Order: sequence, then structure tokens, then C-alpha cells
Amino acid sequence: MLVLARGLYFVASLLLFGLCAFTWLLRARLPMILPLRDQSLRWALLLLALAAGCAWLGLAAADMADAMDRQIVVSAARDTRFGQFFLGRMAALASLGLLLALRRGRAAVVLLAALALVLPAATSHAAAASPAGFAAVGAITDGVHLLTAGFWIGGLVVLLLLWRRREPNMALALSLFSDWAVVAVLLLVMTGLINAASILLGQDGHMSALYLSVLGAKLALVAGMTGLALINRFKLMPKGRDAQIARNAAIELSLGLIAVLLAGLLGQLQPIS
Amino acid sequence: MKRLALLMLLAATPAFAHAKLTASDPAANAKVKTPKMIRLTFSEKLEPAFSGASLIDAAGKTVPLASSVAGSGITLLPLALKPGRYKVAWHSVGQDTHPMKGMFSFEIVP
Repeated sequence: MLVLARGLYFVASLLLFGLCAFTWLLRARLPMILPLRDQSLRWALLLLALAAGCAWLGLAAADMADAMDRQIVVSAARDTRFGQFFLGRMAALASLGLLLALRRGRAAVVLLAALALVLPAATSHAAAASPAGFAAVGAITDGVHLLTAGFWIGGLVVLLLLWRRREPNMALALSLFSDWAVVAVLLLVMTGLINAASILLGQDGHMSALYLSVLGAKLALVAGMTGLALINRFKLMPKGRDAQIARNAAIELSLGLIAVLLAGLLGQLQPIS
Repeated sequence: MKRLALLMLLAATPAFAHAKLTASDPAANAKVKTPKMIRLTFSEKLEPAFSGASLIDAAGKTVPLASSVAGSGITLLPLALKPGRYKVAWHSVGQDTHPMKGMFSFEIVP
């Protein structure tokens, strides 16, 4: 359940950030594209993030204390670093909800969605495993890793919504996404390598078979996503095959969501046996 | 090359290891004279609200003591200990919220 709550929080917050960020970019760069009617999707993702975030706190508290009552949950929220950042995430999501209700502050919505997404990085192992005094470096690289992943899969949702309404400027939107997605994927890989290097230093022992299996499955999914992205960018886009691109993007998004859930599982597994 | 491949494999994985016991004084299975304090050192900074340790004597009774959790360490300050075998049972939670627990023994000699 803890794995599911954690995974669903990341699915919701990654999609919410990517959706808000890419629609904001579209409005800024391509004003001829009319705004998407995506309010209900934003609300659904926001409510899922709030519910999964609360469940994550409750289940993590039960896991930490090996027991469960109201006092334990309050103590987890008040007395632990994870809990304090949880309160920050909830405040960011509540503010985002307020702005959505008022239909104001598009840039602020992007910033709040980014905050809700990156705050868990402060208590990630990339931060904890950084050399003494450099925890902020680990947290920042992990935060960039989450933001770039969010832009990638959230941007795919926007493209699919545009394709579904038969947007006449689809080629321009695809081109804009492609330019930014290349940078996002490069940063995603770079920050992943930096995190891995910092985590590996000082780690002894052998990796568990279960951890390696889940990791292998996740990497296969990410490789599949990258392959589809390359086909879309270099093979289908020049030929203007929008329908095929949309089909590939839908598959890419599905693979991405499963990969995020697997990442949630990896975060709870003990990799060193 | 293998190291690079391993780095590639690990790319993009969140939360890795947990707050593991890396050292203790007295050390596990050590024979020592009455220690003034028992110090446990962990691989990561601990969450004090969810981390701690207790001392159990040879009869299986918990020894009364004062304890504190700070940074990546737990310190136990027991009252005068008699010679004999003792167990230290610890539980730790790192800032990544993952719980760990374990036990080790040492012996006090006259």
C-alpha cells in the first residue's frame, strides 16, 4: 500500500506539473493555439495528489513506528523532516487548488505544481547519500530529475489532448515539445547518473535480485519510451504523420506511467542484500 | 566499463539504502570493562522521534538508562552495569523514512 501511495503521488504530481508547464509554454510561444479545456483533468490530478500524499504520510508513519494511531501520524508530520516537507507539499497543492478555482496565476500554478513535485527530493536518498555538507546538491539533482520526467510525460498528455480535438497547429505544438523534450531527456539522464554516482559511493554489499528485476523492468520501459520518442522526432515528424505520432505518444505515456509506479516500488525496496 | 554499466543501470532510481548501524562502542561481541556510555553510529542522519535503542541484560530484563538521539548517532547512558553479557536492541529511521532494526551483544568483564 505504501508503494502504491508513493507511486500514485508521483504519477499525479508529475502529470500535474507537466500539464501545467507545457500548456503555459504553449500559450507563451504559440498564442495561436487556443487554450485546452483541461480544468477537470487538473482537478482530478490535484485531488489524486492530495489523497495519495496523505495516504503516503499515514502509511510511512505506520511503517516507521511499526504501529498506527493518530498520535503517530501527528508526530510523523510534526517531528520528521519528511513530515515537514509533506506539510509544505500539501500547502503548495492547496494553494494550487485555490488558483485553479479562481482561474488565475498560470505561472504561479506551474511554480506550485513544481514545488509539490520536487519537495520529496529533500528526503530522497540522493540527498541523504550526498557527502556531508552537500545534501542540497543531491536534493537539487533529484529535483531536476523529477521536473524533467514530469515535463516529458505531462507534455505527452497535452499533445494527446491537442490531437484529440484535431488542433490545426499540431505540427507547431509537436515541434515545440520536441525541442524542449530533448533538453528534458538529456537532463533526466544526466541527473540520474549524478544521483547514482553519489548513491554508489560508500555502498557495500550485493544488490538484491528483486531490486535488480524491478530496475531492469523499469529501464526496459524507459528504453521503449526513448525509442518511440526518437521514432516520432526523426522519422514521423518530418513526414507529418500525426496519427502515428499520437498513437506512439499514447504508448509512450502508458509506459511512462508504469515506469513511475515501478520507481515508487524501487524507492521502498532494500537494494543491498 | 562495468562501473559505467552499473551507473547506467542505477540512473533514475530514488531512495536507495537505509540508516544502517555502521559502528558501535562497545563493538559487537567485545569484552570490555564497565563502559560509561554506549554509542551507536549509523550510516545516515536519524529521525529522533522514531529511532532509539534499549539495553537487555543476561536475564532478559531491560536495563533502565537515559538515551539520546542526535545526528547519525544514538547514545545510551546506563547506570552502573554489573559484569555479564548484554544485548543492545536498536531501531532506526533515516530521513528517507525507511525503518531498520537490529541487535548486537557485548560482555562486561570484571
